[in-house]
Order: sequence, then C-alpha cells, then structure tokens
Amino acid sequence: MIENRTRSFADLVGFPGCLKIAPAGTKEVRGTTVLALRFDKGILNLGDRRATAANFIMYDKAEKVLSLDDTTLIAISGSFARSVEIVRYLKHAFKYYARTQLQEMSLEGKLQEVSRALAGNLPATLEGIGIFLPVVSARDPRTGDFGIYFYDAMGARFESGDFGAAGSGAERIRGVFDFVSRAKGPFDKRSLNDVLRDGLTMLDIAAQLDTATGGLEHIPPVAKTLTAKGISAVPETELKKAIREVATA
Amino acid sequence: MISPYDWQESISQRAQYIENRLRGGSPVVGISINAGTLLHTYRRQVRKVHEVYDRLMFAALGQQADVESLRLTAVDFAHQEGFARSEEDVTIQRVVGFALSNPLRRAHGDITAAPFVMCALFAEMNDAPEDDLFFTLRYDGDFDAGSRYAVVGGTPEAEERMLAELEKAYKPDLTVAKAKALSDKVWRIGADVEGSGEPAPALLQDTRPETGFLDRATTRERKFRLL
Repeated sequence: MIENRTRSFADLVGFPGCLKIAPAGTKEVRGTTVLALRFDKGILNLGDRRATAANFIMYDKAEKVLSLDDTTLIAISGSFARSVEIVRYLKHAFKYYARTQLQEMSLEGKLQEVSRALAGNLPATLEGIGIFLPVVSARDPRTGDFGIYFYDAMGARFESGDFGAAGSGAERIRGVFDFVSRAKGPFDKRSLNDVLRDGLTMLDIAAQLDTATGGLEHIPPVAKTLTAKGISAVPETELKKAIREVATA
Repeated sequence: MISPYDWQESISQRAQYIENRLRGGSPVVGISINAGTLLHTYRRQVRKVHEVYDRLMFAALGQQADVESLRLTAVDFAHQEGFARSEEDVTIQRVVGFALSNPLRRAHGDITAAPFVMCALFAEMNDAPEDDLFFTLRYDGDFDAGSRYAVVGGTPEAEERMLAELEKAYKPDLTVAKAKALSDKVWRIGADVEGSGEPAPALLQDTRPETGFLDRATTRERKFRLL
C-alpha cells in the first residue's frame, strides 16, 4: 500500500495540544510596546524590554523581537510565556517544512501558519490568559517585496502599509504614526537613521503613557532590521547614539 | 517454520544482495575545515546532500526510497526533540545512535521484509573542526563515529583507498574551494570501483557534483547551503 500523507509539524508534535493551557487566574507576564516601521531598504523592528505581571515589573531584559527565519521577523505582544512558545513552534514548523519538502515555505504559507497558531491559541485567549498578538515583518524572497502584517486574536491577518504596532502601549501612540508619516513623508522613502529616531521617540512616548512599557534610559530596546541581506541587530553604538539624541531632543 | 539455520542463511544472502547493490553507488566524502563542514558526492536528478537539522546534514548511497525514508525519520526525530527540548539537544549521536540505528537493526533482522539498501554519512558541525563529528551508518544498523573526515563508498576497498588519500592531504585550514577540490579527488578514487585508475563510467554519465556546506561563521539562521 502506498501511503501518502502531507507531513506537517502540527501533526508531528500535536499542536495546539502540545501547549498546555494554564488554569484561569494564573498571574501571567505581559505588557509591551513593539513597532515595525518601513525604511528605504527594509523594515525596522523595535521592542521595549519590560515584562510585567499585574503591577509587578518581572524582568527588564525581555526579547520581544525574534527571527522566525532569515526573511521573517516577529514582534510579540501579550502573554510572554505563550508567545515565546508559539514563536518556537513557528520556527520549527518553517524549518521542518523546508527540510522535509525540500523547498522553502512560501510567504503566504508562513503567514497562514501564524494564523493557524493564533486560532489554535484561541481557547487560552478566551480564558482571559495567554493572549498573543504578533506583528510579522517579512520579505518575500520570490518578489523581493517587504510587508508588515498584524493579526487579531482569532488569527485574521491584516497587511498594514508602512508601519504596524502591538501591545498595551501601541494603542496610545497609533495616531502618532499617521502624523509622522504625513508630516515627514512615507516611512519607506526615508533612511534607517531617520526612521530609527522616530521609532525610538514613539517608544519613549509609549513608555511615558503606559506603565507596562519600558523606557529608553536604563536598558536599550531591541532594534532589528530586515533587509535584502537578511536580519541583523542595529549596532549597539549606533542605537545608543540615537537614544541619546532622542532623549535630549 | 523458519529454523535458525534458515535465518542465518537468509541474513547472509541479504547482506550479499545489499552489498552487490551498493557496489555501484556514488561514494560520499565528508571533510571538516575551519570554515565549516562539507559533504561531497555526485548525483543525477534528485538531490543527495540534505540538511537534517540546524547543524546536521547527511548524504547516502543506495536505493532512493530507502534513503528517503531514513532521511524523513531523522528529520522527524530531530525536529520533535529540538522543539520539545532545545536545539542543542539534537546531536548526531542521538539521531544516528538512538533514532536510526535500532530500527534499522530490527528491520535488517526481519527476513520477511524487503531489505534496506543504503549506507549513509552524517555530519555534525560544532565550534571548531576538531569538535565536528562524522557518523557512518550501515544498512544493518551498525554505526561508526569519527572526526576530521569520513567517507562511505560502494566497497570496503574503495573506502580504504579514499581514507588513505585524505590521510595524506587533509588539513583543517584548507579553504572551502580547496576542500571541495580535495573531496572531488577523493570521490574519484572511491568511484573507481574496479581499481582501473578511472571512475566507473556509470557514475559519471549524466551526473553532476553536489556539495553541501554547513557554515561555521554565518550569523544567519540557516547554516546549511549547497555550494
């Protein structure tokens, strides 16, 4: 008999059952502001580093901008434990697909996989814990186009043009993006240096308006870029210089 | 009713059958250098050097369907383990010694099933060439570990000749291009099944070289690429 089954990582590890739902009332670690901004050569992702549980600051060095592969960045907001687990799942799902099928998963396929992961996480979201909302920045290797995508808790995907943001602080600064974009011109026409300063300013404003967002002064935020060359962190000296300029402005 | 004698007879016939089939296979050469680890062979249409996990790759000779089923078992195991624990916990020793060797051994002993025709070379890249590992895995589940370089070939004699050449020419500071050239030279020695001084014509007809490379220095997520 010839068996013909599609190999999926979800079947292999039994997703989403492999992620256990914490009982209701668990105090979870969450709260964030993450941003994705276009610039002329790609996409910049910024994330504050604070992780909170209720009014406790649990940790001030959280990594909220993570790479899924060499052409996809994900910025996470919501339950930290849940997001990290789902990011691990997605990373493995992409790798597993490429290695078993001997071809890269298409961008559409990857975005769909993120939707499925969110839909699978819905029971946890409905429990009131474990909500997870990502912003995905991707470069389609087939066309060379960049895209920023955000999601709702049920897995619906929305493509946003020049910028995207998620997390408790993002609500408070959403209008600022439009203002900056109208006042200074579209983000995708401007240089990284310029966009980095705008992004840091917005993160600083979010930190002032939202207790769950860490500021710039103690620990620098995570700053990563996605370009045609791949993913890299903004060099520390450059980031610190930009932070000093923004703080004194 | 199968008597112990029948079993022994059929196992040795099985081994003979498999070894005859493997004789004409295209050898695989593995070399570990400062820049990374490479596996080199020749192929027809279908790719032969494959990424198993972040720092693991493999290439095999033998029946295509058998090699493919071995590959998928290795990939499944590596990803399950890497997801459940950590990327670091997926090692060549566990993939070959634990996930593959035992089932192969059992399959080989089951004389009612079709034999597994394959002979594989696995490579694991670590921080430095002296830490890299090569595992050869045979059709009966036997495996062997080594470092610096390794080969699998159609016959034990061909493998000996290949290893002798590597012993002479191998240096960890070879450039990628030089290491590729050396592995090609060694492949040609191994492809010379009859000892005539030339690779067997069947192995050169309609085939092209394929070299898989695990890059030690890259900061990319994907360390594997074909050269």
